[in-house]
Amino acid sequence: MSMEVKVIDDKNKDNKRRRILENLWKPTRGFVLFSLISLVFLILGLSWFVRKEIYGDIITSLRNPGGGGVAWGLWIMFDIYFVGVASAGITLSVLVRLFKLDQLKPLTRPAELITIISLILGALCVLADQGRIFYALLNLPRYARPISPMFGTFSLVVSGYLSASLIYFYLSSRKDAFELSKYFEGSKMRRLLYKIWAAGWRGDYSQEKRHKTSLFWLSIVILPLIFVANSTLGFIFGIQVGRPGWFSALQAPGFVIMAGISGIGLIMVVAYILRKIYKLEELIGERTFYTLGFILFVLLTIYLYFTVVEELTAHYAAPEKDRYIAHQITIGKFAPIFWINVVSLLFPAIYLFYQTITRRVNIFITALSGFIVNVSAVLKRFLIVVPSQTHGLYLPYQEGSYFPALSEIVILLGIIGFGILLFIFFAKIFPIIPLEVLEGEKEEEKEEKKKEEEVYLPSRVRLIFTFGTIALGLFLMVLGFVFSARFGTKPYLDPILPFSPVIFISGVIISFFSAVVYELFPSRRRI
Amino acid sequence: MKSNIKKGKGDKIGDEGQKLEKRNLKRKFLKTVSGFAISLGFISSSLPFLPNFKRKKSANRKNGNSREGSKIKWGMVINLDLCTGCGACVVACKIENNIPITGYEKKDRGTEIEWMTLIPHKDYLIPIPCLHCDDPPCTKVCPVNATYINEEGLVAQIYDRCIGCRYCQVACPYSRKYFTWEKPEFPETYVQALNPDVPVRPKGVVEKCTFCYHRIRKLKEKARDEGREISDEELRKLPACAEACPTGAITFGNLADPDSLVSNLARSPGAFTLLPHLGTKPKVIYLSKSKRISLEIDKDYENLQGEKNREI
Repeated sequence: MSMEVKVIDDKNKDNKRRRILENLWKPTRGFVLFSLISLVFLILGLSWFVRKEIYGDIITSLRNPGGGGVAWGLWIMFDIYFVGVASAGITLSVLVRLFKLDQLKPLTRPAELITIISLILGALCVLADQGRIFYALLNLPRYARPISPMFGTFSLVVSGYLSASLIYFYLSSRKDAFELSKYFEGSKMRRLLYKIWAAGWRGDYSQEKRHKTSLFWLSIVILPLIFVANSTLGFIFGIQVGRPGWFSALQAPGFVIMAGISGIGLIMVVAYILRKIYKLEELIGERTFYTLGFILFVLLTIYLYFTVVEELTAHYAAPEKDRYIAHQITIGKFAPIFWINVVSLLFPAIYLFYQTITRRVNIFITALSGFIVNVSAVLKRFLIVVPSQTHGLYLPYQEGSYFPALSEIVILLGIIGFGILLFIFFAKIFPIIPLEVLEGEKEEEKEEKKKEEEVYLPSRVRLIFTFGTIALGLFLMVLGFVFSARFGTKPYLDPILPFSPVIFISGVIISFFSAVVYELFPSRRRI
Repeated sequence: MKSNIKKGKGDKIGDEGQKLEKRNLKRKFLKTVSGFAISLGFISSSLPFLPNFKRKKSANRKNGNSREGSKIKWGMVINLDLCTGCGACVVACKIENNIPITGYEKKDRGTEIEWMTLIPHKDYLIPIPCLHCDDPPCTKVCPVNATYINEEGLVAQIYDRCIGCRYCQVACPYSRKYFTWEKPEFPETYVQALNPDVPVRPKGVVEKCTFCYHRIRKLKEKARDEGREISDEELRKLPACAEACPTGAITFGNLADPDSLVSNLARSPGAFTLLPHLGTKPKVIYLSKSKRISLEIDKDYENLQGEKNREI
């Protein structure tokens, strides 16, 4: 197969558009089957979660470290995994916007959706891990303090990152909602739903211009936020002296790169599935997979380099216990997992290198390597979380082992089932591929829209409100942070103001919300 | 700026006009943002100097909330030469602090709670309570401040606030924190004998040794009622483990008081702390003349180390 850009005729486009639009709100067989399966998983997970709440964490296989077990297990592993996966989705979307990678454009919406859903799943995983979930829901907003690395996870990842990607997602979906409200003229409820969703989108030139501006600035802010968010996750482990094997400056960048790897891998898999389901062979074609493969290849090389550096450092003259953990991982008890992990990173890297050089794309193998690196990502999280707890004991306690109990697996499957349910339900009420991509922008329309601009006046009030929202958000952020951090007073208990973390988080959310204000602010019509 | 906006509104929008408007918009944005950032920075930096803030700070210091000014630093010395490994301290601790009785079965399951525990090293056992580090890794990581180091140097745990994330448990290099994996259960006859001074912990929180703080508080109240200072003699065998020790290997007291027995013992030549290289500065000090151990170092290298492990 060679790389060639196929010329798509107009009929084909209409077919695709029709296929996607016709599938909306229609319970197809596959949809029913999949939603039932994930619903079953969700219910099972919920019931086991109730069991956990009744009997306590004794039903899991988590145990006291030092007593032959690990305090953090499967749920924390998957929390990291989900947050990592999340980062790639929005990054991809942002990159498409900033660098105009048109071949990835059809994947922006599924990628953004993956981001939002997996962030929710990550939060659920953390909540499942808490001993007292209701206390966690109350006390985290109440007492959370910035000195704990958990604060970053809780405030930046869950609130900031999630709200930013929700807003990004919403703003870029308005256009299609407008189209859909036209498409569903017949049905009152649906039309109303899409009209509210579109929130006054008319598709005129000034709106599109504003949309471009706001998404540009959002992208600029989101990109560093992804690095910060994943680094805070890395810091959860990287700043612990208490567990040999964890204390390393490489943890944070390693988490960022691994997040990219698993995320791009998952997007490949989802792209492959969408391609098969909606028969979008031309649209999500070789060029798309070539680009994704190239990005994945670069990330894989960086990560393999990190692995080599990490293992060399840990084996050469590290403190005794660190060396012991490293030995356990490479040639000891965890060796099978480690080597499977390395091989499943190495082979995709080699294949993708070959693909990049020869420019011959095999879509199936590319998607398969996306799947393999995801398995590898999960294994890597196991290697980060578990060995340092079971074998990283400075005092002569008994060494332990860990294999997730049925309860943990079932609750995790319930969480994943919930995520799949969200994804397929969303794909049922909204086109999963942006309609704009299916149509292709026409030059004439653009010209027409440009003329329309004269009808609407640029509004200064809009700018004042937008910057006002940003300022309010920043002010609340600083206020909330200062109040919950309590600089200067060393031993402290409570934030100065009760619920200061909530002030901080609402500040983060409000400052992102300014993009919505900027776009949705009504404009005056020229008389 | 005004004229440009008018241009934007005007009848004809040339490319240049658009560019100008765009540039203007960016400049405006940057101006506003930097203005706000500077003003916010100013406000936030001036916050600590507001009168209200200042008063609060000084009030804290007066209450002894700042550790630097405090005159109390509870500590413990365990003499390994006297210790016979009988386990009386472990049992006394369990009874005193309402720790649920567990059989051999639970010990295997790794859910057993032992605030004071014995770990085997070579041919003897070492008793280890929570070491109440002066620079504890566990208090730094707590997301809700449920574990904190108080003004008397005790690493305390607020069970009501703990959300059970187990981060402190993972962070503790000595593995001295215990999670309550299930609801604590006591035999019916035992319920009557529970210590009313110590709360029974609910399931899903992390718990740990408190240096029998309820006893310290009682002693303080008693001394206050009698209008006197607490003497060192009263403190020496105050915690349940020290009281129960048949050989008197455990000594408790105030490390900040240079004349107390505990600080004298801590200064003696055979004193060492566990894992000093981690910089946690434990306030439980071990004492041994014959058993020169440092658990961080492999057994084979034991005789290579000199007298250097003393930290406090």
